[in-house]
Amino acid sequence: MLLREVGYARPGSLGEAIELLAADDGARALAGGQTLINVMKARAGSPDALIDLAGIEELKGIELRADGTLEIGAMATYTELVESSEARARPIIGEVCAQIADVQVRNRGTIGGNLCTSDPTNHLPPLMAALGAQMTIAGAGGERTVPASEFFLGVYMTAVGVGEVLTKITVPAGRSDGFAAVTLGVEGTCIASAAASVNGGVTIALGCVDAVPVVLHPGSVDEDAVREAVRDANLDPPSDVHAPSSYRKHLAEVLAVRAVNQARS
Amino acid sequence: MSTVTTSRSIKVTINGTTYEREVEARKLLIHFIRDDLDLTGSHIGCDTGNCGACSVIVDGSLVKSCMLLAVQADGATVETVEGLAHGDELNKLQQAFKDHHALQCGYCTPGMLMSATALLRANPHPSEDEIKKGLQGNICRCTGYWNIFEAVKAASE
Amino acid sequence: MSTTTAPETTEVEAPAQDWKGQSVPRKEDRRLVQGQGVFVDDVKRHGMGYIHFVRSPYAHAHITSIDVSQAEEMPGVYGTLTGEEVAALTDPFFQISSVPGANLKDYALAVGKVRYVGEAVVAVVAETRERARDASELVEIEYEPLAAITDARHAQDDGVPTIHDDAGGNLMWHGTYEWGDLDAAFAEADKIVTIDELHFHRFNSTPLECDGALVEYNRGVGQWTIHTNNQFPGFAAIMMGPAMRTGLDKLRFVTQDIGGGFGNKITSHPQLVACCLLARKLGRAVQWTEWRTDFHMSMSHGNERWFHETEVAVKSDGTLLGFRTKALDDAGAWLRYEPLGGVIWAQVTPGMYKWRNIRVDFTQVATNKAPVSPNRGYSRMQHLWFTERVIDIVAKELDIDPVEMRKRNYIKTEDMPYETPNGCVYDSGDYARMLDIGLELIDYANIDQRRLEATARGKLLGVGIGSTLDSGTNNFGQSRMINSELQFSGNNEVATVKLDIFGEIVVTLGTTPQGQGHETTAAQVVADILKCSVDDVHVRAGHDSYWNSHAGFSGTYASQFAVTGLSAVKGATDLLAAEIKKLAGAVFGGVPEEALELADGGVRIKDNPDAFLPFMACGAIINANNAGLPEDLGVTLNCRYVYRPPFEVPDIERKFGNLTLTYATQIHVAVIEIDPETGAYDIVDYAAVDDCGKRINPQIVEGQVMGATAHALGAATHEHYAYDEDGNLLTPNFYDYHVPHALDMPPLKTAATESPSPFTPLGTKGMGEGGGAGIHAICAAVQDALRGHGDAIVSDSCNPYHRVWEMLQAPAEAGGRVSVVDA
Ligand SMILES: Cc1cc2nc3c(=O)[nH]c(=O)nc-3n(C[C@H](O)[C@H](O)[C@H](O)COP(=O)(O)OP(=O)(O)OC[C@H]3O[C@@H](n4cnc5c(N)ncnc54)[C@H](O)[C@@H]3O)c2cc1C
Ligand code: FES
Ligand code: FES
Repeated sequence: MLLREVGYARPGSLGEAIELLAADDGARALAGGQTLINVMKARAGSPDALIDLAGIEELKGIELRADGTLEIGAMATYTELVESSEARARPIIGEVCAQIADVQVRNRGTIGGNLCTSDPTNHLPPLMAALGAQMTIAGAGGERTVPASEFFLGVYMTAVGVGEVLTKITVPAGRSDGFAAVTLGVEGTCIASAAASVNGGVTIALGCVDAVPVVLHPGSVDEDAVREAVRDANLDPPSDVHAPSSYRKHLAEVLAVRAVNQARS
Repeated sequence: MSTVTTSRSIKVTINGTTYEREVEARKLLIHFIRDDLDLTGSHIGCDTGNCGACSVIVDGSLVKSCMLLAVQADGATVETVEGLAHGDELNKLQQAFKDHHALQCGYCTPGMLMSATALLRANPHPSEDEIKKGLQGNICRCTGYWNIFEAVKAASE
Repeated sequence: MSTTTAPETTEVEAPAQDWKGQSVPRKEDRRLVQGQGVFVDDVKRHGMGYIHFVRSPYAHAHITSIDVSQAEEMPGVYGTLTGEEVAALTDPFFQISSVPGANLKDYALAVGKVRYVGEAVVAVVAETRERARDASELVEIEYEPLAAITDARHAQDDGVPTIHDDAGGNLMWHGTYEWGDLDAAFAEADKIVTIDELHFHRFNSTPLECDGALVEYNRGVGQWTIHTNNQFPGFAAIMMGPAMRTGLDKLRFVTQDIGGGFGNKITSHPQLVACCLLARKLGRAVQWTEWRTDFHMSMSHGNERWFHETEVAVKSDGTLLGFRTKALDDAGAWLRYEPLGGVIWAQVTPGMYKWRNIRVDFTQVATNKAPVSPNRGYSRMQHLWFTERVIDIVAKELDIDPVEMRKRNYIKTEDMPYETPNGCVYDSGDYARMLDIGLELIDYANIDQRRLEATARGKLLGVGIGSTLDSGTNNFGQSRMINSELQFSGNNEVATVKLDIFGEIVVTLGTTPQGQGHETTAAQVVADILKCSVDDVHVRAGHDSYWNSHAGFSGTYASQFAVTGLSAVKGATDLLAAEIKKLAGAVFGGVPEEALELADGGVRIKDNPDAFLPFMACGAIINANNAGLPEDLGVTLNCRYVYRPPFEVPDIERKFGNLTLTYATQIHVAVIEIDPETGAYDIVDYAAVDDCGKRINPQIVEGQVMGATAHALGAATHEHYAYDEDGNLLTPNFYDYHVPHALDMPPLKTAATESPSPFTPLGTKGMGEGGGAGIHAICAAVQDALRGHGDAIVSDSCNPYHRVWEMLQAPAEAGGRVSVVDA
């Protein structure tokens, strides 16, 4: 509950934030703090400095482009995504964000923080992977874009390097999406999750069954095809206090079917 | 250019009173409120951000003050349970909690009241499901919540 | 003279008849809804030091060295305390157990060895919380890790590590209980049902406020003031005094508001001793806040229990004749209240059923896990879960309807008071009627129809009943069955009621309420006797052992306030009422007491209402204007009463006697729907029917029923203190230890019947623990839903979704093993 000593700065621009982050290997971006502060309370991680992204206009806002593409600032909170009329262009985003934790966490937690955390139980990594989102990352060397399928590198590890900031999440147009999860209690932590998108091809992303979302492309939306795709993935999910591996493996199949069914309906 | 410092002077307005204090960057807002300012109505029930006993309203937004640093609240307006009553007169929600036996030990109550306050501001006539969703972030270990739902419903009528 | 206190506003209208029986809004709420309660962590002192405990990362290890020098040198650090110092300054805590558990040497901090992850090894004190935590990282402790034992079933195997060398093994306590004639029962039986293993899991009630203390030491008089939320200071004192080599009056316990207890705040005495030693050593007030993770890792887990080789003797028509079983209790690393769990269950030996022949072979062992201590429903819940499981398993095997099975075997209302095979006396109740009410609330008549509807939606519907007893007001003589040398018996509680100089009625309780509304219910009892308003009765908030309203068993635990606490209040108020009349009689010039009555906040002559003496005058006369009163008046208007329930010392040889005074009843009925694809289930309908005798405040009673229900539902579905093989707790916080949240709550229907206890002054019964009825009901409902879908037997008290799914996939392996033979 008691953090180690830490430095704090609240830069007013992205450039400044990148400079501060680059200046110290031990500095970390602070977004909603709904993971980072807890990690620090447990002293499981103790950055030298927190670079608070809250004052940076460039990271805020949700925009809908004419072609239906959504551009979401990394600092957009779940609440903003639930309430945003722009985000409604891709309704699944608001629907899923509304299931994350609770009002308080939704008021602070950000899409950028959720993705950068790359916690296998988080809702948004599989969702963004299924939607085919693109991540814009800015650093001292400029900007680059990474597809969601390559963004997640491991538990708590992403393509965002030291001194870099995830600035924007770009979601292509589309409406036929689905999400299904079995959670610890109603709308609790995911025990297993699946997101699906059937805009053109079929994409499924499974959560909680590996360190990063497992992305699958079944040949069709038919239940048999979906089940087969999950089986062919030869999943070997982790066992923990909430579920044995075998159960997660089974759920992956069931939830993939449910997510696809929602997406096609 | 902003600089990294391990402590700084902050100014926070809580329930109408403005406090200026030097705080360590590592101090949680809840500890600032409880320990430094002696506003002990807001409580701590966990160390992982799950229980909501520390819920306060910061610039109109309901948050758990154990997942916010005091320095992050610099310049903010904060509402806590101590600000709900009008003098000695309980507000509608407080009175409804009392009338409906929506508290037993009362430890979750301040956070619960702040969540209910935020809920009713955003949605003055919530359905039962909306009430549950609005209070999902607040753990109560005494009441089983049922009377709390009743109290919020009554206060919204 | 001017007065600055605002008059107390009258919030409550006087009822037509008694205050008792009315849902009077609670007195304590006004401060609590304003955030003006005083909880332990709100208490501060100038210059106080903050304590941080350095805890063991190992489940079992020798401590080879401790070096606190670097920590002590850190600026802002006031000092430290190690196990070595504790062992020099204190004696081991007194052990309740007979040998081998009696041989344990338990201190405030680990001495020489650690025995569970999270055990406190060193305490560090500094000027801020953060600094104490920082300095704790500089404490260097070297450990020599040992193998850990975490499964009680293997604690006595050959070659396993011994946790306490002093005990010579991991067995802590063993006792055999046998009543009736087992051989005859099994000979008479048509069938014998054998159940291989049943497991009641480890969890507790996780009060939202964790433990804590602020301790001051008065060097001049050698006395400690302990502001704490310990819920049973009487027990803490008898543990702490001898260990600290000090008289009990040197330990002053003070509390105001407590953020939930549920039994889990009884055994904080080791931490309190550490606080006391530090306050003395450092010459300053010290403060300890237990964080959630500390609580989960180290405080008061509920007893985990196995039942092995259970055999049930039953007639073909379902009539139960008797059972035998081997109970195995996992005490964790220390006996902090244990092995009392080894006898407490015997308060409800036959559950609610008429079987007369019972044998329980009870063993308690140590493991490298957090110590167990009382938890709401303490030890009876485990046993009642067992009897309810047995009922539903036997019903299933014999193909008898669970409702029929219960009604055939329930103890009947006409048999009350009913003496159980072990000499307990069930005071009153009508179980069958309560069950009917519960069934009606969930529309049991149409359940088959609903089952079909659920099936059409792809769901498996199940109905389950949990019937329990909430035994209250312990006869502490039962502790002698654990250790015949103990000198405890009976029970007591104290209250004082006085009339102050300005006529203020002041009530002082010995209890330590944690949300049970004692200020309110006590005022109701007083107001009825003194014929005044509850608003005129000032009940002091909290507890102070220096208030002189404190006895050996004072505290709030084990469902007893409505009996012990309120009977003490009634006794003291009756004394005060008599004194007021005596005084008035004298003032009115020798009017006999029978001619006087209390009314309208004073005393008057019955047929001369003009002769009226307000309480204010009474208080003023006795306290400040007493010249001329008769010498032998004997009135102080400050009345103390000790309520002592009518108990005998139990017969230790036969393990026979009345172990509790009252038996409240709860019958719950749950309807669930399982999603067979995932094993996830929803509670779609739920009824809780309660009978706790005369209810002083029905709203408060209902609140207790609701709270106990929520605890049970959480425990039945997710709450579990799970350990890995190395003894790491896997659910050390609310993130992984999932307690019910608002969205988890099912619809709830409640009802109540009132069967007054013939044994208590007010007809009340203790209540509030609930006996875990919801756990039993959910287990039964899951088993019912699985009927025809693999027919698994539910053998574990915790059934998260994956376990339900496993029972559907592999009923034989995942479910319990049961066999039936014709006798
Ligand atoms: C009680 C509780 C329940 C929760 N339940 C769920 C749940 O069910 N599902 C779910 O998905 N999540 C859940 N969460 C996690 C929550 O969604 C977090 O908000 C999220 O994981 C992190 O987002 P944040 O904005 O708070 O990031 P922070 O905590 O501020 O940061 C997290 C990490 O990301 C880095 N980071 C953040 N933003 C950026 C950026 N723009 N660029 C580079 N690095 C960045 C930080 O440096 C840090 O390492 C829960 C949290 C709590 C407290
Ligand atoms: S103390 Fe803040 S959520 Fe528990
Ligand atoms: S009233 Fe005790 S935790 Fe809610």
